[in-house]
Amino acid sequence: MKRTREQTIFIVLFLAPAFLLFTGFVAIPGVRALLYSLQKWDGLSTPEWVGLANFRELFTDDGVFLLALEHNAFLTLVAGSMVLSLSLFFAAVLHRRVRGATVFRVAFFFPNVIASVAIALLWVLLYSTTDFGVVNGALRWMETTLGWPDIDLPFPFTGKQYLIYSIVPMLVWTMTGFYMVLFLAAMEGIPETFYEVAELEGASPLSQFWHVTLPLIREVLVVGIVFLAITSLKLFEPVWIMDNEWPSRDTHVMATLLYQKVFSEYNVGYGSAVAVLLFVLVFFATLVTLRLSRREALEY
Amino acid sequence: MGALIKNVLLYTVLLIWLVAVVAPLLWVVASSFRSSREFVEDPFGLPWLITGSPYADNPDVETPVEAVASNYQKAWVKSKFSRYFFNSVLVTTLSLLGILTFSSMAAYVLAKFVFPGSRLLFLYFVSGLMIPAQLVLIPLFFQFTTLSRWGTAILSPIGYEVHLHDTFTGLITIYIALSLPFTILVLTGFFKSLPGTLREAGIIDGCTEYGVFRHVMLPLAKPGIVTAAIFNFLGIWNEYLFALVFVSSDAHKTLPLGLAAVSMQAQYKTDFGLMFAGLVIVLLPTLLVYILLQRQLTRGITVGALKG
Repeated sequence: MKRTREQTIFIVLFLAPAFLLFTGFVAIPGVRALLYSLQKWDGLSTPEWVGLANFRELFTDDGVFLLALEHNAFLTLVAGSMVLSLSLFFAAVLHRRVRGATVFRVAFFFPNVIASVAIALLWVLLYSTTDFGVVNGALRWMETTLGWPDIDLPFPFTGKQYLIYSIVPMLVWTMTGFYMVLFLAAMEGIPETFYEVAELEGASPLSQFWHVTLPLIREVLVVGIVFLAITSLKLFEPVWIMDNEWPSRDTHVMATLLYQKVFSEYNVGYGSAVAVLLFVLVFFATLVTLRLSRREALEY
Repeated sequence: MGALIKNVLLYTVLLIWLVAVVAPLLWVVASSFRSSREFVEDPFGLPWLITGSPYADNPDVETPVEAVASNYQKAWVKSKFSRYFFNSVLVTTLSLLGILTFSSMAAYVLAKFVFPGSRLLFLYFVSGLMIPAQLVLIPLFFQFTTLSRWGTAILSPIGYEVHLHDTFTGLITIYIALSLPFTILVLTGFFKSLPGTLREAGIIDGCTEYGVFRHVMLPLAKPGIVTAAIFNFLGIWNEYLFALVFVSSDAHKTLPLGLAAVSMQAQYKTDFGLMFAGLVIVLLPTLLVYILLQRQLTRGITVGALKG
C-alpha cells in the first residue's frame, strides 16, 4: 500500500507525544548524568570538568562507596539465594497440584502489591524495641521457656550495625511470592507427559524436579536471577526508611548514597558517578539476560 | 505411610509461610484498632474492640470504638491523610491516563506500520528499560527549569504554561515518561498479535486511520492494556523516590511520602495507633485492586518480569 500524506501525518502525530516525553525526560537526562559524573558541581555554580576524578574518589576516598557496594552485594547474594530457593521450592510444590494451591499462590504474592515504604515501616514496627515489638516479644518468650537465645533483649534490629542483616528477612518475606508466581507460570508450560514418563521410569519427585522441571524452565530462571540482582542493586526504600531517612556508612547502599550525596551534600558529580556505576551494573545484568535467553531454547 | 508423612511435612511448611505472610498484615489491622493505653497494658493482646475493655465501667477512659475512631480520625484529618490520599488518586489517575494513551498510540504505530527507522525507534523506546530511575533522577532535578521552558514553548499555542518544580504536572510527567518503555514494549507485542487485515478492512469500509485505531484495534488490545494498567497503577501508587525528590510542599505530597513523614513523627511521639491506621489507609486500595484483579496481575508477571 502506498503511503498517503494523511497516513504520514497520522504516524507522526501518534508517535510525537511518546517520543518527546521519552527524549526530554529519560534519554537526555540519561546522557546528562554521564556528563555530570565527569564534573565537579554543587548544583549552583559553574560546573568544572574533572575527568574521571569522581570515579577515582569512589574507590579511594573514605571507602563509603565500597561499603555501600558490599551491602548491595551481600543483599543480592544472601537474600537473593534465599528468595530463589524458597520460591523454587514453593513453585514446585504448588505445581504438583497441592490442594488449596490457589490460596497459597494468592497469599504468598500479596506483599508485592504493598508500597515498599509501608513494608519498611511494617518491619520497623515488627522489630520495635518497645513492648509490642513482635520479634523481640517472641525472642523473650523463647528465652524464658527454652533458655535460648541467651542475648540482651530487646535486641536493636534496626540499629545501624545490624540494619543490613535485618533487611534480609524483610526482602525474603516480600519477594518470594513474586518469583514463585514467575516460576510457577513457567512450570505450568511443561507438558504433563514428561512427568508421566519420569513416573514410569521410577523417578522420585526430587529427581523429577532436578532432571525435568529445572532444565525446562531454565530461561525463566535466568530472567528471574538477573531481575533479582537488578532489584537488589536499585534498593532504596528499605534502608532509607528503616534508618530514619539518614543512612550512614554502616547502612548505605548505592541508591541511598547517591541520594544523600546529591540532595543533602550537593556533591552532584560524586552522586552521578555512583548512578553511572549503578547503570553499568544494571546494563550488564540486562545484557547477560538477553544473551542467555536468546540461546537455543529447549524444544518440547 | 511415607507419602502421608511427606504430605504433612509439605503442608506444614506451606502453612508456616502462609502465616508468616498474612499474620503481620492482620497484626497491622488489629493494632490500628488499639489505643496507646492498650499498647502499654496489653502489648500482645487482641484489640479491646473485640475482647471488651477492662475499663468498661470507667467513663473517663475512652471506649474501644472511640479509640478506633480516634486513630483513624487523627490519621485522616489531623495528619492530612485525606489530602495525601486525594493527591495520590489524582496523580495515579492522570499518570495512568497519559501512559496508556501515549503508549498505545506509539505502540500501535510501531506494531502496524513499517517506515524508515521504525525498528530503530522501537529499540530507542525499549532501551529505556535498561536505564535505572536513579540515573535520570539527578539531571531531571537540575534541568527542570529548562524542561519547563521547553514545555511552555510547545504548549503555549494552546494557552498552557508549564511549571514542573513541586507540582502535580511535574510528577505526573515524570511518571508518564518513565513508564513508556515498559508499556510500549508490552502493548507493541499485543498490537502485533492482532491481524493486520482488520486495519485494511476498516480502511476499505471508509474508516480513517484514527477510526480504525479507536474503534477496532483499541478494543481488541484491551487485555494488554489492562495488564499494563495494573502494573503501572501499583508502581505509581506506591512510588516514593521521585515523589521525595520532586515534591517539597505538604500540599502536593502523595500517600507514601505522607506516610513516611507522619510515621517519623508518630514514632517520635510514640503514637503507634496513628502509625498503624496510616499503614492501613495506604494498604487498603492496593489490597482491593489485588483481590479484584489478582488473575490478570499474576498472568502478567511473565511480561512484567522484563521491566528492569
